[in-house]
Amino acid sequence: MRDRSAPVSRRRMLGIGAAIGAAAAGGLALSAAWARRPAETGAELRSEVPLPQAFSVPLPIPPVLAPVASTADGDRYELVQREVDAEILPGFATRLWTYDGVFPGPTIESRRGRHTTVLHRNELPVPTVVHLHGGRTPAASDGYPTDLVLPDGWNGHGGHSMADDRAAVANLQREYGFPLDQRAAMLWYHDHRMDFTAPAIWRGLAGIHFVRDDVEDALGLPAGDRELPLMIADRAFDADGQLAYPSVDPTLTGEHGVTEPYLAGVLGDVVLVNGAPWPVHEVDTGLYRLRILNGSNARHYELEALADDGRALPLVQIGSDQGLLAAPVRHRSVPIAPAERYDLLIDFGDLPVGAEVRLANRLGTGRTADVMQFRVVRAGERTPIPETLADDLPEWDRSAAAVVRDLAFRAGRMDDGRHGWLIDGLPFDPARPDVTARLGDIEVWRLVADVHHPIHLHLVGFRILSRGGAEPLPHDAGLKDTVALRPGESAEIITRFDGYRGRYLFHCHNAEHEDMGMMANLEIV
Amino acid sequence: MQRQSTIAAPPGTAVSGWVLRAAATAQLAAGFAQPVFAGVYLSGDFDGLAWHVVGADLVSYLGIAQVGAAVAVWVRVRRAWPFWASLALVAGASAQYLAGMDGALWLHFPLGVALVAGIAAVFAAVWARPLPRRTKAAPDA
Ligand SMILES: [Cu+2]
Repeated sequence: MRDRSAPVSRRRMLGIGAAIGAAAAGGLALSAAWARRPAETGAELRSEVPLPQAFSVPLPIPPVLAPVASTADGDRYELVQREVDAEILPGFATRLWTYDGVFPGPTIESRRGRHTTVLHRNELPVPTVVHLHGGRTPAASDGYPTDLVLPDGWNGHGGHSMADDRAAVANLQREYGFPLDQRAAMLWYHDHRMDFTAPAIWRGLAGIHFVRDDVEDALGLPAGDRELPLMIADRAFDADGQLAYPSVDPTLTGEHGVTEPYLAGVLGDVVLVNGAPWPVHEVDTGLYRLRILNGSNARHYELEALADDGRALPLVQIGSDQGLLAAPVRHRSVPIAPAERYDLLIDFGDLPVGAEVRLANRLGTGRTADVMQFRVVRAGERTPIPETLADDLPEWDRSAAAVVRDLAFRAGRMDDGRHGWLIDGLPFDPARPDVTARLGDIEVWRLVADVHHPIHLHLVGFRILSRGGAEPLPHDAGLKDTVALRPGESAEIITRFDGYRGRYLFHCHNAEHEDMGMMANLEIV
Repeated sequence: MQRQSTIAAPPGTAVSGWVLRAAATAQLAAGFAQPVFAGVYLSGDFDGLAWHVVGADLVSYLGIAQVGAAVAVWVRVRRAWPFWASLALVAGASAQYLAGMDGALWLHFPLGVALVAGIAAVFAAVWARPLPRRTKAAPDA
């Protein structure tokens, strides 16, 4: 024997090999069985009341708010934020926080460049802040999280965890001014209070705000009854039929955040569209325009339209968060993260009267796999889909970027040692400048995520340059204000910071992440 | 098939054996670098992803080169196990590549750990004993 040690027996070698192989195979099998496939960030609350049958409740359409005054200078609206009891589940009165007594809040219709003023009066038990998501809004009306409107008799501090010298606090009411010098798009307004955005949206503080313009009008897209705003939001209900939410402090006045199992995000087991559970809507055999908003706190959906003959109807995307695309993009299904919007055309023309089309969620399991249903009840007119859409999309070139920034969105610890969500290792602090951009500069941001993080920039729209180091996906077309990063994914976005100077934000729009630190200041100078 | 080692063989390792060892060594280095790049990336360094892709390409090419060397070892040294082990690593690395591109982290993480363990095991095996050239047919059976 040349080997000094005794030769390892063949049987032993095989045994060692088999052990390594078994460990690897066992690990893979465990992962395959245990891990969520597809990945999902958040934990689901289970409702404790019997849930209605799917597709039995008619789809409500939020009322359009009438202006209290319209002059040459613009339109003025007034809204009251107040509590109501509403019937969401048949037979139960559920306490909601609402804009003007309805959930979703009343829809506001604006024209591009026509100044819109909205007076919000706070009759809720806690301070509020209104942010118009996607709005190109001066900083004073952008709803910075500490710019609180305090309710009558409020004598506490702001209720939030940080001091902020620059906060503009008002009593009872505030007038928000929106120049709306921006492309036609479906925006949405919602509460944005420091530390308590997620439970406030969950309780009902969200509504749709349309901006219209001549570019859109010229296309002759389906309108009126054929244009459907659809706010999709998941919720869960307790044994009394009240909204369940795992707040650390259910009064939403003290300690912020949610209990430990829900730190990654709160998911409900009931899918609401415009506030109704799994609703049904009657349509004709014509072309419809679906204006879809994911108003959920944390749930992602991948939407597809399945006819009862098993076919998937094409979803023709004509617009994104910030308005129309240059040309339609056909999808079999579209993924939608919290706060994202899609402008889709769907043609029921090939279906017979009596057909049913299920808007399904490929990421859901059990009842969350359903969203709503369309029932074809009469013949309608055929309308062609335009081949080209908008020609006013901004084009920015990478080489024109003044700054390239890397930003990491990850789990971590807050200053108090609690679990939180961090941007570049830091939890939100109103007093700390994070990104300072010069007005007019083009910048490229390279975003990296650990789990799902839908990243939203205030003030500006952006284009997606790449995703995961490769080309953007088909649904990344157009002008975005929220980009959904999947686990381990990265994206490069490009934008030009124009409009207004002042203090803005960028943040994760998983509302629980946002409340637990994943927000940062964007100062435009 | 029993190939009892080495008494009749000349001492030292054949050229094919050295090529195999070189490939396994390079693969070991690349394999251990991959989680480093992944960690750099997930810590927020965007360029870490590009390195992770370069590393994945490198592991793939080295794996194929190692299979080639293992074929030569099978012919010259009359040992088949390096071929089968190298082939298994190539199969695993291909699945790993696809899982990574697809964002299937449930598969990508445990498979990555298993692959690095496999690469380390093969590295140890090819260096543990000489891989001498057999001049005559070795006593099979
Ligand atoms: Cu997040």
